[in-house]
Amino acid sequence: MADSGQMGVRWHVKQSYFLDAMEFELKIENQLHKLQVEFKEGVYHVGLDDQEYLIDSSTVSDHCLSLLVNGKAFTIYWTEMNGKKHLSVAGEKYVIEEAAPDSVTASGADSAGIEEEPVAASPMPGKVVKILVNKGDKVEKGQGLVIVEAMKMENEIKSPVSGTVGKVNFKSGDLVDAGRPIVEIEPDA
Amino acid sequence: MLSWKNSLISLTGSKVENFSNIHMIQKILIANRGEIAVRIINACREMSIPSVAVFSIVDRNSLHVQKADEAYCIGDPPPLESYLNIDKIIQVAKKSGADAIHPGYGFLAENPEFCERCEKEGIIFIGPNSKALRLVGDKVESRKTMTEAKIPIIPGMMTSGKQTKGFKEAAEKIGYPVMIKASAGGGGKGMRVVWSPQELEKGVEAGMREAKSAFGDESVYLEKCIEEPRHVEFQVLADNFGHVIHLCERECSIQRRHQKIVEETPSCALDEKLRAKMGEVAKKVIEVSGYNNAGTVEFLLDKNKNFYFLEVNARLQVEHPITELVTGVDLVKQQIKIASGEKLTITQDDVQQRGHAIECRIYAEDPENNFLPSSGKILFMKEPSGPGIRHDCGIYSGCEVSVYYDPILSKVVAWGETREDARNRMLLALSNYTVLGIKTCIDFLSAVVGHPEFVAGNTQTSFIAKNMSDWKEKTKEKRFLNEALIAAAISSSAKPTSRRRFQDKQEMPNPWLTLGKWGLGGT
Repeated sequence: MADSGQMGVRWHVKQSYFLDAMEFELKIENQLHKLQVEFKEGVYHVGLDDQEYLIDSSTVSDHCLSLLVNGKAFTIYWTEMNGKKHLSVAGEKYVIEEAAPDSVTASGADSAGIEEEPVAASPMPGKVVKILVNKGDKVEKGQGLVIVEAMKMENEIKSPVSGTVGKVNFKSGDLVDAGRPIVEIEPDA
Repeated sequence: MLSWKNSLISLTGSKVENFSNIHMIQKILIANRGEIAVRIINACREMSIPSVAVFSIVDRNSLHVQKADEAYCIGDPPPLESYLNIDKIIQVAKKSGADAIHPGYGFLAENPEFCERCEKEGIIFIGPNSKALRLVGDKVESRKTMTEAKIPIIPGMMTSGKQTKGFKEAAEKIGYPVMIKASAGGGGKGMRVVWSPQELEKGVEAGMREAKSAFGDESVYLEKCIEEPRHVEFQVLADNFGHVIHLCERECSIQRRHQKIVEETPSCALDEKLRAKMGEVAKKVIEVSGYNNAGTVEFLLDKNKNFYFLEVNARLQVEHPITELVTGVDLVKQQIKIASGEKLTITQDDVQQRGHAIECRIYAEDPENNFLPSSGKILFMKEPSGPGIRHDCGIYSGCEVSVYYDPILSKVVAWGETREDARNRMLLALSNYTVLGIKTCIDFLSAVVGHPEFVAGNTQTSFIAKNMSDWKEKTKEKRFLNEALIAAAISSSAKPTSRRRFQDKQEMPNPWLTLGKWGLGGT
C-alpha cells in the first residue's frame, strides 16, 4: 500500500483551489462544459464557467438527488442510458454525455507547468478489474495500465508517462479509493 | 319521447325485455389496454364487480394485467391478432363468465359487428345498441338523419360533380367562403378555400386536377368554410328508457395531426345561452339516432358562434375525466349502471358545472420531430399529485412502451375554481411529472398551457400551427443547465455518503424500542 502522503498531489490538477478535485468534461447538445468537483467538509465545491458553487448534495434515492445550491433547492431525477445521463430538473429534461473524467487519461493532463506524478490512480472509488502490466515492464505514455470498475462502468487507466513499471500496489478484485496509486511508473530519463 | 322509446325497442327487436329488467352485471371483461383499461378496472373495483383483462403477449407486464381480477392472453402483438380479434375476446368472456364487455375507446369500441356479436351471444355491450352505433358511424346516413331532424350541419352540396357547372349556384346558396373538397378525399389533398365568385371556377378546376392525381377520381364538392373553428363537443348520457341528459361541453380545439392533446371545460367560447342551445341540439342528435349509454356529440363552432354538427363519438372519450371533475358524475359507473338497465337518476337540472378542468394527454412521442411516436423502456417515472390533480395512468417505472399500440401513456387532469387556477395547477403538475428513458410531449404541453394565447382563451383548431411552430427553438433556452451539469457530475463522482455519521446501526437505537411503559391514546 502506498502511503497516504501521496494522495493530495495528482497529475490531473489544473487549478490550485481545486487541489483534490475531479474534473469532468460533460457534453450537452454538442457543447462541452468543464467542471471540477471536490468534496470538502461535507460540501461539494463545484467549479463551472469560472464560478465556484458550494453545494449540499444528498442522494434521496437511486434516481433522485437533492441539491441545495446556496440554499436554493433543486430536486433532480436522473437515470443513465447508453452512457448518457438523462436528467429532469424542475420539469426540464437534459441529456448529458459524460466524457471520461480527465484524470483517467494521463494524456489529457498536458497543461503546462504542472509536474505529473508518475502513477496510475483511480478517479473514483471502485474495484480493480485487471492489472494490465507487470513490474519491470516497459510502458509507453498513454498505454493502459489497469482497469477499474466504478459506477458500473469500466475505466482503463493509462500511463501518464513513458517508463518502467515500478510498484504494483493492488491486485484484481481489490477495492480502491479515489486517488490511491495503483501502479507506479519510473519515468524514462 | 315516446316515439323515440318505441323506435329504440323496435330497433333492438328481441332485446325488449332487457330494457325493463335490471340485470345485475356479474363480471366485466375490458377489451382494451393502457390507461383506459386501468380506469375501467378501477370503476369495477369501486362497484365490487370482478374485472377481466385481456392482453397480447407483449402486454404481459402491462398495468391493466396487474390491476384486474383475472387476465387472459389473447394473442400476438398486432391488434388484429389480439385486441381486435372478436372471436378470441368473446371466447375469453364466455370462459371467464363475464356477462358484459366494456370496449373502452379505440380498438373495437365503435365496431358495429362486435356490438352485434355481443348482443347475439347474450353479452352486454357497455355502449350503445348496434343499430344506433351503425347509424352514427355512417357519415352519409347520419347527415341525412340530422338534416331531416333540422340539426345544423355544415352546409354543403349533397352530391359531388365532375364538371364545373352547378357549382356557382351551389356556392351562392352555401355562402362564401366555401371549401372545395375531394369526394375521395382525405389528408387535405384537393382541399382549397374560395373567397369570392370570381375565384370559384379556377378553384374547382384546380381542386379536380389535384383530386385526380391524388385519388384517381376528380369528383369534388363544396362545403361551407368554417372560419377560425373551435372543436366543441357535448357529453351525453341516455338510459334505456328514453331519458337523455347532457353533461355540458368540452372544448378540444388544441390538436396536432388532427388528434386532440389538450381539452378543457367549460369552453371560453360558450355562454349560458349558447351552452343551453347546443346542449339541447346534442340531446336531439342522440334521440333521433336511437342512441343509448354514454356518447359525445361533436360540433364545430365558428367565430360568429354558429355551430354545426360533425359526428357522434359512440364511446367513452379519452377526455371524459374533465367532465367528471366539473360535474361530479362518474361516467364509467354511469355507463355500467345504464348497461345494467338502471334508470338515470340524474336530471338535466341536477347537472351543474363547478369550477374548471383541463386535461393534457401524455403521449410517448417527440414533439421536436413531428410528434413521431417513441418507444422503449421507462427507466424512471415520477407522477404528479396534489390538490386538484388527477392522473389516469397506464405506465410505471420499468415498463416497456411497445411500438404496436397508440402511444398514449397517461392523462394529467387539473381542476381549479377558475380557469387560471386549473391552468396553474396543470403547469405545476407537468413540471412535477418526470418520465425518463423515452421521449414524451410533457415539455411541449407545458409550453402550450403556458402560452399567452392559451391564457387568453384563443384556442382555435389552428392553435398549434399558429403558435407552436417555433417551439423547437424555444426549448433551447435551458434554465437549469448549470444545475443539470452539476448534478451529472456529482452523481458520477465519489460518493461520500452520510453513512460516516452513523457508522454502526447499533449506535442509532430505535426510539420505539426504548420507550418503556407508555400508553397509547392517553388511556
